[in-house]
Order: sequence, then structure tokens, then C-alpha cells
Amino acid sequence: MIDVDDLCAGYGGKDIIGEITFAAGRGEFIGIIGPNGSGKTTLLKAISRVLEISGGVVTLEERALADFGQKELARVVSVVPQDTAMNFSYTVADIVMMGRFPHKERFAKDDPDDYRIVREAMEVTNVVHLKDRPVTDISGGERQRVIIARALAQQPKVILLDEATAHLDISHQVEILSIIRDLGETVTKIGVFHDLNLAAEFCDRIVLMSEGRIRAIGTPAEVLTMDRLRDEYGITAMVQANPVTGRPLVTPLSEGVPPALCGARIHIISGGGTGAGLMYTLSAAGCLLTAGVLSPMDSDYAAASRLGIPCITVPAFAPITPAVCDALGAYLDGADVIILTAMPVGEGNLPNIRVITSTRRSRLVLYVPPGEEFTDCTPAGDRSFLAAIRAAGCPVVSSRSALYKEVEKMVHTRKKA
Amino acid sequence: MPEISRVRTVSIITILIAMLVCAFFLALSLGPTTVPFAAFIPDDPLGMLGSLFSGGDIARFFSDQTSYLIVYSIRLPRVIAAILVGAGLAAAGTAMQGLFRNSMADPYIIGTSAGGAFGAAFTIVFMGGLFLPVFAFFGAIGSTFLVYAIATHRGRASVETLLLTGIAISMFFSSILSFLMYSAGKSLHQIVFWLMGGFWNVSWNDVWLGLLIPIGGILLIALARDLNILSLGEEDALHLGVNVEQFKRILLFVSSALTAVAVSIAGAIGFIGLITPHVMRLIVGPDHRILFPTSMLAGGLFLLIADTLTRSFLGEMPVGVITSFVGAPFFIMLLRRRMRA
Repeated sequence: MIDVDDLCAGYGGKDIIGEITFAAGRGEFIGIIGPNGSGKTTLLKAISRVLEISGGVVTLEERALADFGQKELARVVSVVPQDTAMNFSYTVADIVMMGRFPHKERFAKDDPDDYRIVREAMEVTNVVHLKDRPVTDISGGERQRVIIARALAQQPKVILLDEATAHLDISHQVEILSIIRDLGETVTKIGVFHDLNLAAEFCDRIVLMSEGRIRAIGTPAEVLTMDRLRDEYGITAMVQANPVTGRPLVTPLSEGVPPALCGARIHIISGGGTGAGLMYTLSAAGCLLTAGVLSPMDSDYAAASRLGIPCITVPAFAPITPAVCDALGAYLDGADVIILTAMPVGEGNLPNIRVITSTRRSRLVLYVPPGEEFTDCTPAGDRSFLAAIRAAGCPVVSSRSALYKEVEKMVHTRKKA
Repeated sequence: MPEISRVRTVSIITILIAMLVCAFFLALSLGPTTVPFAAFIPDDPLGMLGSLFSGGDIARFFSDQTSYLIVYSIRLPRVIAAILVGAGLAAAGTAMQGLFRNSMADPYIIGTSAGGAFGAAFTIVFMGGLFLPVFAFFGAIGSTFLVYAIATHRGRASVETLLLTGIAISMFFSSILSFLMYSAGKSLHQIVFWLMGGFWNVSWNDVWLGLLIPIGGILLIALARDLNILSLGEEDALHLGVNVEQFKRILLFVSSALTAVAVSIAGAIGFIGLITPHVMRLIVGPDHRILFPTSMLAGGLFLLIADTLTRSFLGEMPVGVITSFVGAPFFIMLLRRRMRA
């Protein structure tokens, strides 16, 4: 349908984007994402020919867009900008009718077909009731729907959206993007997005850009991974599946993890959900995690398996066998740092606690968040293991930031050694 | 266009035409000497028409020779010129306001009046006012070209740059004009009179030149749909299929030619080109397909009334004094209203 081949473009003789190659199929909704200054809008402007391209070619159904006359182009490609300034009080119907301009000869009158197409466009975007109102008097969300109606009245094959919903509140964003997604097979949509979750939710495929180059193309789930978000946006973000739609759901984490932890091998011993948060954050930060021993019933196990963290498991309430202990030992030997979180300790995971005695304390950190403690669920119930923990003399931290600092210190000394 | 607004538009245009026709006959009749309407009518109308088309003398068809001279040789060309100049300035003003997307723009915004004034002053000082309309015309259109050439970069002229360049070029020509006035000596009052704008010396020759104005007006009406779209912004216009740079060139050329013709006939008459489109936009809305014809009718009407007033009751005061005197407070009123809105 529309093919972008090795496209280069920029301003004042300086290329901002280069080596851009991708194709959008008929009816597909492609989202372009990337940090500020990555060239998303430049790419859109190059496709819509606002910007002259300095290399490569964009073709629509095998014909170069550069060969289209201005009016001819407007019959196949329409653009919805972020915001349209309105200086004169045209009515909504006037504005939508302007979408028919590329289809009209200079002296041709607006015919019944034009009125029908304009009416249909206004129905799709739900602005019929506004048709006689001046565009200067309606709200931003309504105005953007009017502009989309105008773009539809052009009856384009491709519709380009430049952060078309950026200035709108969340309900209008969802409403407008739903309208665009549901345009169906006749219109190919290419949109620049700032909001990753909206892009993931509405687009069939996503193009991730950074520094004027394409870094990844694929389905939202293929492109929106924690590693890419860290590398291209420089953020620590949790990516889960949206429980309703199954599409990726990105949650940026505001707590900073020291970049030095990227690549550090960390084993987490936890249980009862005390380690899940750590697993998400550290894995988003690029740590190579292992976990266990955990029971498959444990919510920590669910987190580990969702994040693809190698994990030693035993069935719930089953004792930990010597074989499992060996496996645990191997994981522990491979780790730079071992984090033990405050958790309920029962018969089953007492061996977990024993690592304290077998591990040199320079590699072990105890993480006891405020309000948490090692509860004793063993038959003895005498909290004897607590003595063992205290005797180990390893650092005990109560906040995430202190934990990261301690882990960073250990990784550092281990690297030196 | 919905049915109601079409009826409304047609009625407004009809009313404007009717008012213009009434004002036209009143203007012919009124003056230092009032001529009764009956004296307009020749004794043998058909014979006169025949004589007119065969290029013969038509004076002999009128019994009252004094009235004939006043009406047909003095007042008629002046009345027609006032209508044409008013229409031309209003059309050019409408085009500039659409192009600059600003209802405070006027036809002189890109240096046309300053350039025209420079041309006029030049011939008054150095050539005794020979070919004054020609000099004014080329001064006006020349300065527009200069502004456009300076503001163009890589084949594109942004409206902001055009606006600022227009201001700079206007200031530059004004300074030369001041120098010419300073060194003009006895011809100073002639320059001052020209600058204020008026129709004292209008002859049939000016009317023939003025016929370029309706042609330009029709061209602008033909471009009205494009201008509607351009008034949304240049990028939007591009996406809707307007060849923006080419269109801007044509629009600037046509409207500066209109302005130059108006200026060369009657000097730099102020406020017509600013107020008329502004008021008509309030009445008929922003659609240039309707705004152009109505503004031209209203501009012609306004200038004809102003000129008839000065000619009949104010002892030939320059008409530019009246338009500015009425126009400026009116403009302030509009401005205040906008601030409140």
C-alpha cells in the first residue's frame, strides 16, 4: 500500500532522519513512537510532503508520492495535525466541506455527492449536531473531531496523524483513536504517538524511532519491551499484558535504579509476594535475575514467570529436597548478589534461610521494608532462624534506595575482585 | 451552503446593489450645484446611444448644456472612480486579511502605499508631476515585488517574514518620502494633498485605468475557495491540496495590482481596505466567495458616500481625511469589542 524506502529528510540541508524503511498495508494502523527529537514528526512531514525529502522514495500503490500534483496528493493522503488554529469563524460544516476541495474543479459547485460525503464524515466523528456552530466556539475535542471529519471528507487512502490527540483529555483520546481505528480496511493510518499505551492499544504495528533512525518495527508486544524502553527512552518501565486486551501495558517506574546495576546477576529469595515488586524493577533496569526457591502458588512465582526469570520451584507445602538445594546452590554461586526479603518462613522454605549461613555475607543483603518482618510459621514457632539471620551480620536495609546502594556496592567490589 | 444562509446572502447583495444605485444617482445630483434628476435624461435616449457607440458627440442631445457638463464630464467619472477605487481597496484588503490570517491587515501592509507615495512625490518634485498616476502605480507595485523578493527564501515566503519585510520597506520609502517633502519647496502642498487622497483631478482616463479593478475583483472571486483554505493556515492548505507558494504569489500580485491602480487614481486613501472587509465579515461570515463581492460593493458604496460628502458639503476636503476620521474610531470600537469577546 504505502512503502517508505530508505527515506532521508531534514531541515536546512541537514538530515534529521535517515535510512527509514517500512511499509504499511491496506487498512493497517501504524504507530510511530520515540523520544522527543527522534524524528517522528519529521518522518510524517516527509511522507505528507510538507518537507522535501533528500533521499529515498515514498510510494503509494507503486507510484512515487513526489510525482503527485498537490491536489492529487490531497485526494489520497490527508493529515490530522496536533492542533489547528482557527482565526476565522467558519461553521463546522464549512470546514468539513473544505475537505472536498481537492476533488473540485475551480468553478465547480458543491454537489449533492459532496453534501452526502460531508454528512457521512460528520456522522462518523459525531459532529453533526455542531454543523452550524462556528469552529471558533467549540471545545478542543470537538474541533479535533471536526478536523478528522474534514480529513475523512477528502476520502483518502492514507491518513496521517501528528499526535492528533495530544492536547485532549483521556476520554477524548480514546474516543478519537477508536474512530480512527474503526475506519476499516479502506484507509491506512499512520500516527505519531507520545503515549505508548495508546499506541499499544490502537495500533496494529509500531515503529520505534530514536535519533532519526528506526530501532524496531513490529507488533506492540514485539516492540514495547522493557529493554527497548530502557535503551531508547532511558526509563525503567514495567511492561505487563493488559488484562483486558492482552496488549502491552507500560508503566514507567519513578524510582531510579542505578544504571550500574544493568547486567548485574542477582538472585532473589522471597515468598508471599514480597519479591515481585523488586523483580519488576530490577528486571526493567536490566539486571539478570534468578529466583527461588518458590512454590508455584506464590505470587512471586507468577511475577518471575511473567518476566521470564529462571526460578527454582517446589510444590506448595512440599519439603525442599537435597536436589533442589543443589540447584539453589548453583544459582547462588552464579549470582553477584543475593537479596533475601522479609517473608513468612515455614517448614518448606527453611532451607532458603539456611543460605545465610552458607553464603559469605559480602554477597547477601536483607531487605526488610517498613512494616514487614520474617514471620515464623514453622512448627517450632520459636523464631530460632531469626537468630541465625542476625548472626550472619549481613547488611539489613529497609528502603529500595538503600537496597540498590548496597547491591551496587557489592557488585562493584565483586567486579574488582 | 444551507438554504437559509443562501437567501440571506442574496438579500444582502441585493440590498448593497440597491444602495449603490441610489447613492450613484444622488452623487450625480448633489454637489455645489444641485442638478435635478430630470436633467440626466437626454432628449432622445436612443439617438444618444447610437451616437455614443459611433463615437460622435453626445452633448447635443441635452437641452441643458451646463447640467450636462457638470454631470457627464465632471461628476460621472469621479463617481465611477470613487466606486472602483473603494471596491479595489476593499477587495485587496479582504485578500490581505485572508492571506495574513489577521483581520487587522490592510492592502498597504506590504509597502504598497509607501511605494506609491514615493513614486508620486518623485515625479512631483523632479518632473513637475508628469505621469503621476504611472509613477504612483509602479512605485506601489514595485515595492510589493521588492518585499516579496526579500521575504522569499528557497522559493518560500512565510507570511510572518512578508509582514515584517513590508513594515521595513514601508519605513524605508517613508524616509525617502520625508526627504523629498523636505526638499520639495513649493510643490510640498501638492505632495501633501496627494498623500491625503482624493478625487479632484479625476478624468475619464482614470476611469479607463480603473476598469482593471473589476477584472482583478473577478480574479479574486475565482480564487476565493483557495483563500478560504489558506486562511486556515499554510500547512493545512497544503494538506488540502492548495499549491500554497504559487497561490500566495498570485494573490499578492493581484491584490497589489488592485491597490496600485487605486492608489494611482486617488492617492493613499486609508481605512477603506481595513474596515470594509472587517465589517462585512461580521455580517456575511468568513467565506471569501461571498466576502469578496459584498466587500467590493460596500467599499465602493462607502467611498462614494464619503467623496460625495466632501464634494458637496465640506468644500473639497481630501476624502482620505473623512475615511480616516470615520474609520479610526470605528476601528477602535471593533477592537474594544474584540477585547471584550
